[in-house]
Amino acid sequence: MKAAALLFGLLLVPSLAHAQGAVGEVPRFPDGKPDLTGVWQGGSTLRGSWDESNGGTGVGGSGRNPAAPVVLSSNDRPAGQNSAPYQDWAAKKVLESFRKRGIDDPTAQCLPGGLPRSVLVGLFPQQFVQTPTQLVILYEYMHVFRVVPINGKHPDDVLPSYMGDSVARWDGDTLVIDVIGFNDKTWLSGVGTFHSDALHVTERYRRVDKDRIDYEVTMEDPKVLTRPWTLKNSLMLREGTRLQEYICAENNLDPGRYDKLIKDGVKFER
Amino acid sequence: MASVLLLIALLHHSFGAEYDANKPVTLTGVVTAIEWTNPHTHFYLDVKDAKGKVVNWKLEGYPPSVLYRNGFKRDVTMKVGDTVTVFAWRARDGGNWAHSRELTYGDGKKMFLGPPAGTGEGAAPAVEVKP
Repeated sequence: MKAAALLFGLLLVPSLAHAQGAVGEVPRFPDGKPDLTGVWQGGSTLRGSWDESNGGTGVGGSGRNPAAPVVLSSNDRPAGQNSAPYQDWAAKKVLESFRKRGIDDPTAQCLPGGLPRSVLVGLFPQQFVQTPTQLVILYEYMHVFRVVPINGKHPDDVLPSYMGDSVARWDGDTLVIDVIGFNDKTWLSGVGTFHSDALHVTERYRRVDKDRIDYEVTMEDPKVLTRPWTLKNSLMLREGTRLQEYICAENNLDPGRYDKLIKDGVKFER
Repeated sequence: MASVLLLIALLHHSFGAEYDANKPVTLTGVVTAIEWTNPHTHFYLDVKDAKGKVVNWKLEGYPPSVLYRNGFKRDVTMKVGDTVTVFAWRARDGGNWAHSRELTYGDGKKMFLGPPAGTGEGAAPAVEVKP
């Protein structure tokens, strides 16, 4: 009987721990470095499976838990954080995109989301696959990837690209990714947040427990910004979620619709 | 040539450019077709208007991957021939198409087919607005 009670108690422990919000340990490689491998959701702070943590009524929510916080859409920067420090001429351009409700959004042409937008988006998961020498990140959103050498160097002849050229190094338990070599065809975070080919992005990923990575990103672009712009967010582990295909160009009807709206003189600006 | 380039440079993912949050509509009808495509799914409904005339409506929804994660089961949740009700917002051009939000199906079960009004156009400007 005692043995049965003990067994019952042992079985009970994990579920109680979960209910009380106990958090798991950070998985580590034999050399002690954190392992970021897993499927993650940006733009959220809630623990649990995709289904458990996406019950809100906002973007991507199922509506089963109306009290749950809203995840970020691909055109909203994290709430309550610094607005973008654009030079005056550039700020006017950002506001013009906002006034036109983002019809000049590069992703509306099914182009890649760029950084940090692809990381902050909540509607689609991203998968990290890490070895001791590299981190590979797969984004469901626009179906793009990054291959990030750890302790590697940028090539001397970097080609401009949508997702840039990434190299990583460890700063204690934080993986710091340095990204250069962007083209000027993506938005940073928010409607109209364009940048130049001088963009330099520094990302800091710190897995603080099993379920959560604290993410901090600093954007520098002397051609359009007055000073570095930093945003903070978290990525939440979504065990059991599998990345799906997202081939945006398959049936993108919006170009034709915008063509017609403009031809017909339908007012849509704000 | 210049105008062609301009039109190519414009585009989707913005709710408010194509749809009007002030024009909500609730449609009950029979599903006539489902397009399981990216970047948006589409659902077609035959809906009887006030005079009894049947009008075919086109409804835009989440991409397939998002519906799948939200529990939408292809060929189960909604099939051609089913009668369903959809809450949506109408297109600005006044046509018979709309941005879908809430689906009511089966014996009153509900789920979201698309995001809230305003998605994708930015809730607030990314820069401070100077007076």
